[in-house]
Amino acid sequence: MAIINVAQREIRCKIVYYGPGLCGKTTNLKYIHRMVPESAKNKMISIDTETERTLFFDFLPIDLGTVHGFQTRFHLYTVPGQVLYERTRVAVLTGVDGVVFVADSQPNKMRDNIESLKELARNIQNEGKKFKDFPLVLQYNKRDMPNAVPLEQMNYYLNSQLNARSFEAVASRGVGVFDTLKYISKLVISKL
Amino acid sequence: MDPQLTSLIVSTSETAHIEETLDRLIADTGANYSMLLDKSGQVIAWSGDTDRQDITSLGALLAGTFASSREVARLLKEKEFKVLFQQGIRENIFTELIAEQWMLVVMFDKRTHIGLVKVLSKRATDELTGVLDRVKTESRAKDQIISTSFRTSVEDTIDLLFKD
Repeated sequence: MAIINVAQREIRCKIVYYGPGLCGKTTNLKYIHRMVPESAKNKMISIDTETERTLFFDFLPIDLGTVHGFQTRFHLYTVPGQVLYERTRVAVLTGVDGVVFVADSQPNKMRDNIESLKELARNIQNEGKKFKDFPLVLQYNKRDMPNAVPLEQMNYYLNSQLNARSFEAVASRGVGVFDTLKYISKLVISKL
Repeated sequence: MDPQLTSLIVSTSETAHIEETLDRLIADTGANYSMLLDKSGQVIAWSGDTDRQDITSLGALLAGTFASSREVARLLKEKEFKVLFQQGIRENIFTELIAEQWMLVVMFDKRTHIGLVKVLSKRATDELTGVLDRVKTESRAKDQIISTSFRTSVEDTIDLLFKD
């Protein structure tokens, strides 16, 4: 839930990057951290394992600066993607305002994508929110893979019921990263 | 908590009330620092050492720890863990849940006794529960702050900042 602090003139929203293991959630945040202007940048925190897999979450606060007298800030988080961390993902989703679901475009990852998306829907509903109305954007990542699943099939398997906005991405090169972030940020603001 | 409520608006007068409660808690316990967090990890107010850095990161990590302990409670079929205590060599952290939405955090060293922190935090959380109830009611009238022109300006800023 966004916090609007009138005394300190601040508005803060929480956006979570969700998806199966190794789909590129942390890569998205690292690229954003590298590319946003210094004025908007803050320290990025990663709680990960020795092999640099996310253990708890990555956290990156982004300052939009002052808008209409209000300091506006987005807090970006990732969840750990590995299956065994389901309860940790629930913990990170606490109080979320919007979700970027990052899907892996490789054919052997399609089942993981579907399972992860189902789990996300369940977790949002468990927070008492309607998943269909919840601010969500899909990012089809790793579109540069030679065996990437065609876009129509990605949409068929992941988005045919949701009809959420989707973006193609190659997060390791930054392709589609800011388009996704722009869209979810605006969607979250529109729902405040 | 109304799940369809998308934002909490904390007014100037309620912020003053919260800060007064945190100031008094620090004065009465001799603790170094206190803050009020939302369960999403956002810092709502703080009091104490002015030179403390990384308040934002601290808020995100402490809220994450608490959310994680809530999931542990669920696995153990506990309703919730209302309190968390982290003991360090120099500093300790006491965190108490407020009506499943906010968290009161108190940081203190060996000059302060944990028993005193527990008792006085309970008094503070009772007061802050009252504040939270009023904030939830007031948050339904938000049109004065989130106007159409505000949204448009935020969108323009997003376009300006979020680019390669």
